[in-house]
Amino acid sequence: MRAGLTILMLLVLSAVPAMAAPAPDATSILRRVSENYRSSSSQATLAMTIHRPAWERRMQLKSWTRGEYDALVRFIAPAKDAGNATLKLGRETWVFNPRLNQVIKLPASMLSQSWMGSDFSYNDLARSNELVDQFNHRLLGAEQVRGRTVWTIEAKPKPGAPVVWGKVNVKVRDDYVVTEQVFFDQDMKPARRMQTDEIAPLGGRPYPVTMTMYPLDMPGQWTRVQTTAGQFNVSVPAWLLTLSNLQNPRQ
Amino acid sequence: MTGMFASIAWRNLWRNPRRTLITLVVVAVGVWSILTFDVMLKAFGTSSRETSLRLLTGEAQIHAPGYLEDPSVARRMPTPGGSLLGALDSPLVDAWAPRVRVPAIVQSEYRTRSITLLGVSPARERTVSDMPAQVVAGRYLSSDTDPGIVIGQHLAEKLKTRIGKRLIILVQSSDGRLAETSFTIVGLFGGTQGAQDEYAFTSLRAAQGILGVGNDVSEISLFGADDANLDGVVSALKSAAPALDIQPWTTLSPMAYTIETFSQTYVGIWLMIMFVLMAIGIVNTQLMAVFERTREFGLLQALGMRPGLIVLQVTLESAMLIGIGILVGIVLMLLTVVPLLGGLDTGFLAQGMELIGMGQILYPRIDPAAAAGSCLVVWVLGIGAALWPARAAANVDPVVAMAEL
Repeated sequence: MRAGLTILMLLVLSAVPAMAAPAPDATSILRRVSENYRSSSSQATLAMTIHRPAWERRMQLKSWTRGEYDALVRFIAPAKDAGNATLKLGRETWVFNPRLNQVIKLPASMLSQSWMGSDFSYNDLARSNELVDQFNHRLLGAEQVRGRTVWTIEAKPKPGAPVVWGKVNVKVRDDYVVTEQVFFDQDMKPARRMQTDEIAPLGGRPYPVTMTMYPLDMPGQWTRVQTTAGQFNVSVPAWLLTLSNLQNPRQ
Repeated sequence: MTGMFASIAWRNLWRNPRRTLITLVVVAVGVWSILTFDVMLKAFGTSSRETSLRLLTGEAQIHAPGYLEDPSVARRMPTPGGSLLGALDSPLVDAWAPRVRVPAIVQSEYRTRSITLLGVSPARERTVSDMPAQVVAGRYLSSDTDPGIVIGQHLAEKLKTRIGKRLIILVQSSDGRLAETSFTIVGLFGGTQGAQDEYAFTSLRAAQGILGVGNDVSEISLFGADDANLDGVVSALKSAAPALDIQPWTTLSPMAYTIETFSQTYVGIWLMIMFVLMAIGIVNTQLMAVFERTREFGLLQALGMRPGLIVLQVTLESAMLIGIGILVGIVLMLLTVVPLLGGLDTGFLAQGMELIGMGQILYPRIDPAAAAGSCLVVWVLGIGAALWPARAAANVDPVVAMAEL
């Protein structure tokens, strides 16, 4: 009887925070989002579609990550691009071009250039925590989308933060997956939009498997990244993220 | 004796005014074109040099060794002190300014560009560079610690940004890290499009701060007190700071140097071409004149005048003719150039001019010594050419000449 009461009490107590969850503060939502993406390591196969008014290109690539800063990305299709690879270790980035058979260390000046002609820069690939660390956040509201809560958060850069945006509006689903990000310029005009087209379980967690980036000053132009397969917290052998593997791939 | 010959020569000249006037026009136009070209090309050369030197170069620059090949943050030097500071503050040097100068990335919401970031000391910068005066909107940096940034107007358009907005500057800092800093645009500068797209200016302290280099600088730009003694200034600085790389503008800005040297060569070539044309005109008309006067020369010789004196007579005529032509040419040149002394706006040629690093407004300067030199060359060589008709006149056989009808 006494034990039964204790169990009941525990259930009630544990239910309290669960019931309070629908009104969390904006910063902790974004922190949860960031933790959701993070993993000690990952391995994924991606498809990238670059769309321009006059043409469209589809590429396939494999990626490996280790910790927060180390990553290797290798293109596997089409044949024209296959073998191109980018290795990032800490703050340094190298690219390998199979036709030149040469590894080039990217100077800092190249990091903000377009990555393989897409609407992403090398920097976009690397900058993960900026939204949490460099911005002040405010919960604008919550709405129900297909039976789930979606929060809208307004993020404004902290004074002096190295951020060009006037603000960023982020939509987060209640399982901590970002469904949309709109980047506003300093006149508060939307400049680019990143939209999640599909959320699916991946490696045991809900994951935005299809995302599209629209630069809004270039109508008819977008880049879509689809994660076709992925695993998190896998063991990445030490030789994988090395310059020698960048040039002479064993995997 | 000579006076008599001179007055005879003068009268002879005007016996056939039309022919004399034609020769005068040939000489005058030739001299006018040589002198005007000289003045204008020198103005081009000077403008090119001034634009280039007053942009950022200065007459000489001091760097850490290796900076000119690899202008990275690692190639830096301490703020001048000791004997170098002494040499810079000596009367040999008219003005100097320290700078931090590194490659950087500028990012707006829409675009990213590679630029050169300059951290400058505004008060000193104004003494060596015209860039601070080229601000067309907003203001230039106000102090060594100003937190703003000044970029080119054209770059601002490319970045789709404007005064009052933030930009992100990315630089490789002294510890190899990629440093990102936000700056608010306080001013836009005009001037050549190349410069507008290339340079962004922050205050010296702000640049030193983001690079983490303490008080170190990348570059010192300076102007010597005496134009003619730049080599002396450079060697004085070299002995004050033997470890640093000190170069005059002739090696820093070879394009400006080439243009200046080229314009001098060009004037020389032009002078030669014009002179050949003038000589043909002079010799031709004088020969005609001499042939027409065969009977006269025959008579003079028959009366006992020696061939040498006939040569003198004809040469004197040519000397007067060419001399008057030169004077007319000088007057024409003055009429052309004097109205332009206040500045010739070449805005209609702007893009081509920029290509070779020139300013839009040329300031012609008349160099009397150079002009006198050119005139003297034309006169002496002209008289030399006129010796041919003179000899033809002296070689007349009196008997044959007087037999002609």
